[in-house]
Amino acid sequence: MNVLLAVLWKDLVTEWRGRDRAVATLLFSLLVVVIFHFSLDDGGPERIRELAPGLLWIAYVFAAVLGLNRAFSLELENDAMAGLALAPSDRGFVFLGKAAANFLILGVVQALTALVFALVFDQSWWRVAPALAGVVALGSLGICSMGTLLSAVAVRTRFREVMLPLLLLPLLIPVLSGAVQATQDLLVEGTLRFAPLQLLLVADGVYLIASYLLFDYVLDE
Amino acid sequence: MVEVERTLVERVAGLRRPLGIAVCAVFVVYAWLVWQAPVDRVQGIIQKILYVHPPLAYGAYLGFVFAGVGGVGYLRSGREVWDHWALSGAEVGVLFCTLMMVTGPIWAKGTWGHWWSWDPRLTLTLLLWFVYLSYLLLRGFSEGGARTARFASVYAIAGTLLIPLNYFVIDLFQGRSLHPENLERGSLGAGMGWPFLVGNVAFFLAFVYLLLLRFEVEIGRGRVSRGSDEAVA
Repeated sequence: MNVLLAVLWKDLVTEWRGRDRAVATLLFSLLVVVIFHFSLDDGGPERIRELAPGLLWIAYVFAAVLGLNRAFSLELENDAMAGLALAPSDRGFVFLGKAAANFLILGVVQALTALVFALVFDQSWWRVAPALAGVVALGSLGICSMGTLLSAVAVRTRFREVMLPLLLLPLLIPVLSGAVQATQDLLVEGTLRFAPLQLLLVADGVYLIASYLLFDYVLDE
Repeated sequence: MVEVERTLVERVAGLRRPLGIAVCAVFVVYAWLVWQAPVDRVQGIIQKILYVHPPLAYGAYLGFVFAGVGGVGYLRSGREVWDHWALSGAEVGVLFCTLMMVTGPIWAKGTWGHWWSWDPRLTLTLLLWFVYLSYLLLRGFSEGGARTARFASVYAIAGTLLIPLNYFVIDLFQGRSLHPENLERGSLGAGMGWPFLVGNVAFFLAFVYLLLLRFEVEIGRGRVSRGSDEAVA
């Protein structure tokens, strides 16, 4: 548990001092939002509300991949990866610490992206904001658990920037299906159905447990 | 180690050769049965893809499960032979899946009127195809040796988790699928059951044959690379 908190604290402090990952992913996802403006026909707020779930999650996933790519590349310097592997605890806790840091950094980026999206496309999401935050958090949990595991794999391959999205995106479909569907229910209907939430919860649970167990084989000296 | 491998290769080769003859014989019977099978009144001749397409799908899924099981075996035991089985399963699975993705659109064009449909089952099979292509790329882009085997095992297990999860996704999009539910007894027309059954047997045997062949190649490759390492040393 101490290892989890230590890794989480280390990553958050490193991010706070450098702020490179959060700023880069935030700028990237805002640029994606701007590109949506140029690629969509001017159908007004009603049309945007129908498209928003898909658009938001496209921005979130791209931003997540960009951020996750950096999650372990820092550890390659000065052979810090070996230090993590030698942590006096179950390596699963190193995974949980890393995943939690990714989750929090991505959460900040997602909240700001949603805020800017709502402002520039004239959307009023205040009423559903808490539920929307819950759905986005569930989606991010799945993305960050599998993403952290595969980031540790991709970082030690050639073409690591390309490898992570290739490995990760096909596996995220259950999470994204549930997340987009639940977001659509919220933004268009104003309610939440159980089916997409159930899919999200099952996918999150499976990915979190599998990644926790498999991380032991990914982190080596 | 070398002795054990040699015995294993001999055993696999001993099994594969008669199996190859059996595969040829079954495929001759299968071709004849498909030729004799009645032409569907509604779909016409294109319906005969039925005797190819589902057996390829079963082979693809079997290969992917093989990759996952091989991955678990490797991570538990650390024995290379499990990794060889996993790689063989993934490669043969990708081959079957590719053929399935080719035959499916041909059938779809003939019956649904368009090459592709974003039908949940079709889309999810496409994703599985991507997963195992990425698995093969991961192996290609890693430095080789035990680390590659470990990474590939981890990814194969993660990929196998996608198969049951996909069924939840199909449930979520229920009602939008163009694919039929599972075949029931008697759902095929008269004279279509035997070619379908023999087709499944033929493709299953072909799957096993290719799997054993690929496994032999991988064992041989390992032996050659170890031999060249020793020569350098």
